[in-house]
Amino acid sequence: MENDTFDYGKYNDSIHRAGRIGLSIGVLMLLSAPFLFAWFLDASIEWDGFFSSIWSVLIVYVPSCVVEYLIYVPLLGPGASYLSFITGNITNLKLPCAANAREIAHAEVGSKENEIISTLSVATSSLVTMVVIFIGVLLLIPLTPILENPTLAPAFDNVLPALFGALGYQYFRKSLKITVLPLSFMVLICTLIPSLMGQTSIMIIACGALSIGLSWILWKKHILK
Amino acid sequence: MSYLEAANSLPLYLIVGAILLFIALMCLFFIVKSYRAGVRIGMDRKVLRRAITSSATFTVLPSVSILLGVIALSGSLGIPASWLRLSVVGNLQYEATVAEIAANSMGLSLNSSSLDVSALSTILLVMTVGIIWGCLLSIFTMKKYSAKLSLGSRGGNGSGGGYASWAMVAMMIGLCSTFVGSYVADAVVTKDFVPFFTVLISALFMALFELLSKRFKVFENFSLALSMFLGMTGAVVISLFI
Repeated sequence: MENDTFDYGKYNDSIHRAGRIGLSIGVLMLLSAPFLFAWFLDASIEWDGFFSSIWSVLIVYVPSCVVEYLIYVPLLGPGASYLSFITGNITNLKLPCAANAREIAHAEVGSKENEIISTLSVATSSLVTMVVIFIGVLLLIPLTPILENPTLAPAFDNVLPALFGALGYQYFRKSLKITVLPLSFMVLICTLIPSLMGQTSIMIIACGALSIGLSWILWKKHILK
Repeated sequence: MSYLEAANSLPLYLIVGAILLFIALMCLFFIVKSYRAGVRIGMDRKVLRRAITSSATFTVLPSVSILLGVIALSGSLGIPASWLRLSVVGNLQYEATVAEIAANSMGLSLNSSSLDVSALSTILLVMTVGIIWGCLLSIFTMKKYSAKLSLGSRGGNGSGGGYASWAMVAMMIGLCSTFVGSYVADAVVTKDFVPFFTVLISALFMALFELLSKRFKVFENFSLALSMFLGMTGAVVISLFI
């Protein structure tokens, strides 16, 4: 039952305010890091090198950032999105993590509960990643031979197959009618054009559009309820 | 001082530590704020705690994989720069690709014998500027965009009914299809069956844990993390025989 004195609109405004201030400071800190590195090391930024490489990077990654932004914000909600964009690893970690937490909490898309669960999930996930990497950096010398052991290499090479196998089972069985088309499309196009196997960030857009388009048609026809 | 000694020097650790501490505090702030809001709108504290526990357990294994990326990049960029880049924004695939592009554009390659501290600072700037756009869009447009999506000021009506739930399911199916489809195609084209079998093992254990979670609630929180762990273990075992 919702507390009568609690104003969710005010809470949301405060999330936006905190997100914008936090991200602004975070972005400034990130942008200042290379200059601070150069200053402490008595070095300088090589502007010719910077400008000759940045255009090729921007051409590829700005459209990808815009599309990711448009897709992920509706799925995660504002609080989780602010944190996801500053901490990264969205497709391979934050999005599946929030989806898993939402499944466990039985929170529905578009609900206040979903936004709160997604924010808790992404914030926790970001902290755990930072802690794991921090411990790893502290123990880098003793850990490196273990983590780089050739016998264990297949385990760390297959984190994403393990993740999407389990997550795929959860979602494919929710609607096999939606699943058949994007999955068949992906198998077929990657078999015909193998170079697309390494272009998952682009193929997500194609498969996502196919799934959403098909689900919309099925929903309009009352096949999905 | 050699390049790698400079790239691993104490001031750089302090700079990276300060940035990551700020972002960690931001995450803590959001946890406290959203937890309190959840309680205030009447959500069960157990559900909120389960969301935290399941997210933490789920994250450990992928984080170890990200740590491997830190180790991989640290040989050329030093530990502080790799630690920073893989803890914020981006991902390993992006960082490695862009670092290589930046090094090449300066007539260098991404290894410690070729780089110097000026190149390191320049590569770090290219990596940061190239991926910062999602953050900038969030700062300048998130409030309006999420309000348009009814995720903002009104926060949804709590029903979650209609097409919205199916749109979410469809997007996740699209995401999973992309990766699972690429592993199936990989098995067909290159005969690399390890990722495909890892998918199968992980999915089978997920099905088993979902069944078990109906009787034993503890599996509900850990089923995804356990399935991933067993899928990755399966990858090691299969690789010994293939």
